[in-house]
Amino acid sequence: MNWLSRLLPGSGPTLDPALRSALEAIAALPAPDLSRSHYETRYVVVNTETGPMDGGGQRLLAVGAVAINKGLLHPGDAFQARLGSAPANAMAALLKFIAKAPLVVYNAPFNQGTLERAFENNLGSIPPLEWLDLMVLMPSLYPERIAGQARMDAWLGAFGIERLDHRDALLEALAVAQLHQVALARAKQQGLGSPRELLDAQSSRKWLRGS
Amino acid sequence: MDNTAADTLIRTHLDFLRRHAPFDRMEADALRFLGERLATAFYPAESEILMPGDGAPNFFYIVHRGKVQARQTGGVAVTEYSTLTLGPGEGFPIGAISAGRPSTNGYLAVEDTYCFQLPAADFLKLQELSPSFQLFCTRYIASLLNQSREQLQVQFSQRAAEQQTMTTPLSGLISKSPVAVAPGLATRAALERMVEAGVGCLAVAGDDGKPVGVLTQSDILKRIVLPGFDLTRPIADVMTAPPHTLNANASAYDAALEMATHGVRHILVVDAEDTLKGVISERDLFALQRIGLRQIRSGIESAADVQALQRASRDIRQLALNLLAQGIGAEQLTQFISALNDALTRRIIELNLDRHDLYGVEYAWLAFGSEGRHEQTLSTDQDNGIIYVLPEWADKEPLKLRLLEFARDVNNDLAACGFPLCEGNIMASNPELCLTFDEWREKFGSWIREPHPEALLNATIFFDYRVLYGDEKLAYTLRHWLLSMTGGNPAFLKAMAANALDVSPPLGKIRDFVTDDDPRHPGTIDLKKFGARLFVDAARVLSLRAGVEATSTAQRLRQAGSRIGMPAEELSAMADGFHFIQLLRLRHQHLDTDHGSSGDNRVKPDDLNELDRRILKEAFRQARKIQLRLKLDYQI
Repeated sequence: MNWLSRLLPGSGPTLDPALRSALEAIAALPAPDLSRSHYETRYVVVNTETGPMDGGGQRLLAVGAVAINKGLLHPGDAFQARLGSAPANAMAALLKFIAKAPLVVYNAPFNQGTLERAFENNLGSIPPLEWLDLMVLMPSLYPERIAGQARMDAWLGAFGIERLDHRDALLEALAVAQLHQVALARAKQQGLGSPRELLDAQSSRKWLRGS
Repeated sequence: MDNTAADTLIRTHLDFLRRHAPFDRMEADALRFLGERLATAFYPAESEILMPGDGAPNFFYIVHRGKVQARQTGGVAVTEYSTLTLGPGEGFPIGAISAGRPSTNGYLAVEDTYCFQLPAADFLKLQELSPSFQLFCTRYIASLLNQSREQLQVQFSQRAAEQQTMTTPLSGLISKSPVAVAPGLATRAALERMVEAGVGCLAVAGDDGKPVGVLTQSDILKRIVLPGFDLTRPIADVMTAPPHTLNANASAYDAALEMATHGVRHILVVDAEDTLKGVISERDLFALQRIGLRQIRSGIESAADVQALQRASRDIRQLALNLLAQGIGAEQLTQFISALNDALTRRIIELNLDRHDLYGVEYAWLAFGSEGRHEQTLSTDQDNGIIYVLPEWADKEPLKLRLLEFARDVNNDLAACGFPLCEGNIMASNPELCLTFDEWREKFGSWIREPHPEALLNATIFFDYRVLYGDEKLAYTLRHWLLSMTGGNPAFLKAMAANALDVSPPLGKIRDFVTDDDPRHPGTIDLKKFGARLFVDAARVLSLRAGVEATSTAQRLRQAGSRIGMPAEELSAMADGFHFIQLLRLRHQHLDTDHGSSGDNRVKPDDLNELDRRILKEAFRQARKIQLRLKLDYQI
């Protein structure tokens, strides 16, 4: 509840009561057990669509997200929203879709950064979520394929994953999700059987290559 | 949940599916149903996707990207199937998931592979929703049946080749133990022994069993009768010595050569110790040549006595094996057997008519049961009867007595030709089954009016009647009357349907098959009772309902089924299932009769190879399907 407390009046943008109670409901959800296996876990793969900001830098325009639940990618378990004229609603809906699941992105500095900024600007704080960055993980999981950090295209190409439309945040998330399935298969073989172990490995310099 | 996001992803599924058969032809609603329910999973190269040990599959898989290999896991490797590779758009395991039983193949990703997965329950729902997908699955199963049939053909041609080529060792050709006498025996006694045993060649052997000479029928005229040979002298004085012998390991070809070289018709066969093992005649070698349909037929038609017909009966069995070897299907094969058996029966009847005067009597010889359906296998006992018309001027009792005496002789001759007398006394010589037209009509009518269990059982035997000899018109009139009675009698048809549903296909929930719990036959399935009969009984109900005159099960299915609007593909899949079971029965009976024991219908699923087991399961599923149809139609 700590991050939600910062949404109190005066500490940020004013939220309407319906939105606030929705956020409270999300905050009240039980946190997933990250020590269970990948194939008992729901991951949410997110991707952003951005545009240039007036004062320089990138601004979040839209977000797409696809869940991988128990190893399976199901079309019904997907999300997309444009921030448009009600960005707070869009960001709250995204949080609701995430439902505290561990997040997966390609290129966290950019995607995680953009999303956290959008959470802060529109909802008043950054929700405490777990982030996995495939850009960091993939070279360590598949060193024989590509050594060192690479562009997402290179990894998608290595596994024959179709990139349907790179301007569409959702279809881009779909491609990243398929890449994450590949990552999970190898992680399991390497004894990194749960999201917790993968998160720990990601933060261990010893395990990581090419970063 | 965001609908536009889901729609976008579902559209990517649909785009993929539309590029691949059979989904490219799938109805829009069904395709949408499928697209909504497919989840994507990833399988790295060399990983298992689905194994037989996993139990009944939870998903139907469609390869999205990559390659999947289906591998046979049974002890017997089955050609074609051992390395079946599936690429994008191809689905598995259709058979296992339709039947709700574990897959017999193991499925492995040979490359990094993405699969679409559809929950098993949705797969079945999809078949209901999509006629085109159902057709695809039906055809797939039918193709399995065809493959198995091809395999059977290979097996049989090998077997037939072994049996028929001139390389067969003589040990395999000796059918009975030799008739031999001691050299000191008086010639008269030796000749008496020959007559007694009915052989054309008498071997003479010492106390040690080693042959010392031979005397053949043709020698008798030249050496004994014409010269006036003293019959009290020992046989050793008149026999041919030394005899022509060959080792039991020598081939039929060797024997033919020996005969041709020395101008003899018999060769004595000995073992490694020179002990007499048997006699091979020229005729035995002729029998190795292919026996043709026409020869048998003309043999039957010109037969002068029961002995000649007995030979023809043996030839029919040999022909059946040859035809199997040539890859003929069960339907045609049983028809051939049936046609020849018909000819045999007709000849027996003709021969008996020489002794029984039935001139001027209007009658017909009827075949019932499997013979009536043209579905005789090789170990069917007799089921027959007589229908006749009582002329106004005649007394019934004397005429019936004449017919019964005639029938008794025919029944006995049929028994002598390999059609055992019917244990249930369903034979024309039974006064209950030698009836006038009116009596038959009364009998049939009473079963239809009061369908108690025994009446229904009778209906399953007698309603499949067919004329083998005599007045076709009688039977035709009876058939029309019968169909008019049954077609408009839903209560009777429902009772027949319930009777047909008495036995379910022996498909297990846990194991593949439910085998007999009879301790005398552990692990077996009676393919007649639990296989063929399921189809036969269901087809009969359909034919009686739809007014189809045909008596054969496949024809009944096709004609009656299409009249009541069952799709042709479905019907031929059912007929295929029925024929496969018939083929298994024939094969089983062949193997058994070759080993000298009586052929039965008990097959051990464990003894079947992997593919046959699969097909048998599919065949049983077809039986279940046709039963389901009856259940629905008659609300049972």
